Amino acid sequence: MTSASAFAELHDELRTVARDLLAKGPTPDRRQIADAGWLGLEVADDLDGAGATFAEVAVVLEELGRAVAPVPFLGTAVLGVGTLNLLAPNPLCDALLRRIATGDRTLAVAGIPFRDRDGVPTRHIPVTEPVGFRVERSADGARLHGTAALVVDAPDADRFLLLADDPDGPDAGPVVVVVHGPDEVPDLTVTPQPLLDATRRVGTVTVDGVAVNEAAVWRFAGDPQAAVRTLHDRAALAVALDSLGVSEAMLAATVAYAGHRHQFGRPIGSFQAVKHACADMLVQVSVARRLVTTAVEAVAAGAPDADRAVAMAKSYATQAAVDVVGKALQLHGGIGYTWESGIHVHLKRAALNRSLFGSPRDHRRRLVPRYLAVAPT
Amino acid sequence: VPHWPAEWGGGMSTAEQVVLYQELAAHDAPRLVLAFVGIHHAAATLLAAGTAAQRRRHLPAILDGEIWCQGFSEPDAGSDLAALSTTARKVDGGYVVNGQKVWASGALHSNWCLLLARSDPEAPKRRGISYLLMDMGSPGIDVRPIRQATGESHFCEMFLNDVTIPEANLVGAENAGWQVAQSTLSAERGMTMLELAERLANGFRWLVEECARPRSGTDERPLDDPVVQDRLAVFETELSGLRALCRDVVERVDTGRAGPADASIVKLFYSELLQRMTDFAVDVAGLPTHTVLHKPLSTGWESGAWMLDFIGSWEWTIPGGTSEIQRTIIGERGLGLPREPR
Repeated sequence: MTSASAFAELHDELRTVARDLLAKGPTPDRRQIADAGWLGLEVADDLDGAGATFAEVAVVLEELGRAVAPVPFLGTAVLGVGTLNLLAPNPLCDALLRRIATGDRTLAVAGIPFRDRDGVPTRHIPVTEPVGFRVERSADGARLHGTAALVVDAPDADRFLLLADDPDGPDAGPVVVVVHGPDEVPDLTVTPQPLLDATRRVGTVTVDGVAVNEAAVWRFAGDPQAAVRTLHDRAALAVALDSLGVSEAMLAATVAYAGHRHQFGRPIGSFQAVKHACADMLVQVSVARRLVTTAVEAVAAGAPDADRAVAMAKSYATQAAVDVVGKALQLHGGIGYTWESGIHVHLKRAALNRSLFGSPRDHRRRLVPRYLAVAPT
Repeated sequence: VPHWPAEWGGGMSTAEQVVLYQELAAHDAPRLVLAFVGIHHAAATLLAAGTAAQRRRHLPAILDGEIWCQGFSEPDAGSDLAALSTTARKVDGGYVVNGQKVWASGALHSNWCLLLARSDPEAPKRRGISYLLMDMGSPGIDVRPIRQATGESHFCEMFLNDVTIPEANLVGAENAGWQVAQSTLSAERGMTMLELAERLANGFRWLVEECARPRSGTDERPLDDPVVQDRLAVFETELSGLRALCRDVVERVDTGRAGPADASIVKLFYSELLQRMTDFAVDVAGLPTHTVLHKPLSTGWESGAWMLDFIGSWEWTIPGGTSEIQRTIIGERGLGLPREPR
């Protein structure tokens, strides 16, 4: 698998399988998506994974968005595996990765700081806001305190990766504390938070003095701040991909509807007002696709300017999806506003995606420092 | 002419062309304004549909500075170009052309003209048009400049009165001119856009500099306003999307995977982005930009004379198929929506 065409073939196959799995029957469960190889895409070959990259995860993410599938993928495959792959090698971590790939573990990652002191997540300004969790060490051992709201996939997780400050630990920067689910650890509570978007599950994760074994405190292999930014980029790009899928699905549905719905004795798609609105949707989707593709390539390759590409992809694609779905609802007319049409599901998901992991405005603020350095001529 | 085949003096890959255009833009190299139609439209047409003799006659000449214009639009055939009524009457050894053309950029200075004329008045309107190469030195051609909204007179109208064109100057088959024009125009658009997108990206840098200039009489910079910062970030994002889109379209043309509406998507997005950017620049630059009465010579569509650039942006949203026509093409050819009754 070295040539570009071999990659393209692999992606096409992954896409076809995903579309098929998501199109037929009930939503696939954890076992089915593990069997499809999705959870272990970025898990190393020797840990029963596929040894693939974010470029392959991206294919699945776009298809999940296209199907507005209520599949918990972000918490485990994007953030969970993403976090674990950034850690210094450790056998427990490897064991967890192996069980993720086989579908035996579902993860939630909490405490990723998305803003710095000035409210801007950016590579130029170090992430300084305290993360949501804190390790406190005393004579009777280490204990973990803290809370994080709106943690994606938390209600279904059986392992939690909590990014925590460890002020008395050996290194600066957040560490990752792995905690079992509330069934096993009573001091960890997960309070599900219902959302208008019923395709995603989030919850508030609270730990109140959970005893922490040193073996459960894992450290990032490199600079923890850089690791946090990488996680942030993965999270943001994941929802940009989801939004791209949502947009494409809604454009296709609208074009199909405008082609067969007749009024005034003509298909409504033959009227310029409708046709031109669809054309604008295609332009937005085309631009979003290029920005997202560029960002996926940058993230998969670990490019130094990946954060910039992600900021552009996230800010553009998630706003475009809200615009496209809104137009889709409008062009479907009264039927579009019904619960039955299902367009509301896309609208809610697109709008949630726009807010999740940094708003478009937040992401654009990451681009600004480079402008400020410009001197007038 | 990096986009031409190597045997005619070009031969650069898409990636190399991107670098070339970036460098030309970065150094603010003068644009080849008068040569534009020759190196892009004329060359693409001859390479796709011209005879060997036509290519030999004109491609080297274009490299030597032969200037071309386009005789497509007419007073009553604008968006509905196929309704054109200029006639090409078949005579022994050629055609005799009569009619009126309009919006022919640079016609006053041109040596040759790409001409669409009706050779079969009985045929359905798209099937009776022929594509001809007209020597602008021929007797019977009267060219008059039209003053534009910017004050310049780059566009011209052309009156054709019994102009004789030899049969050797027919491109493609007789009455197949519409197909020749369609196939070369859309393929060509990606190439021209590659350069324009890089130019616009360079224009963005000037826009940032404009924002960094203190407002007259104060030390307050627009750049320090978070609203201005956000607009700049929106533009930079859209520009990155445009540049990636252009590269993708050119690569798809090169590998024979071009979509039927690719060129229209790029043209529509470019032209409206140019208009939004220059509009914003006029707002930021404030009153002083209204005192800039002339653009520097041979500059692009983002010269930094922002008010003139803003006015000039309609030269992209109207010619070459208006934004409305582009949306119809995208809807019908790109998305397969039903055609409107016509």
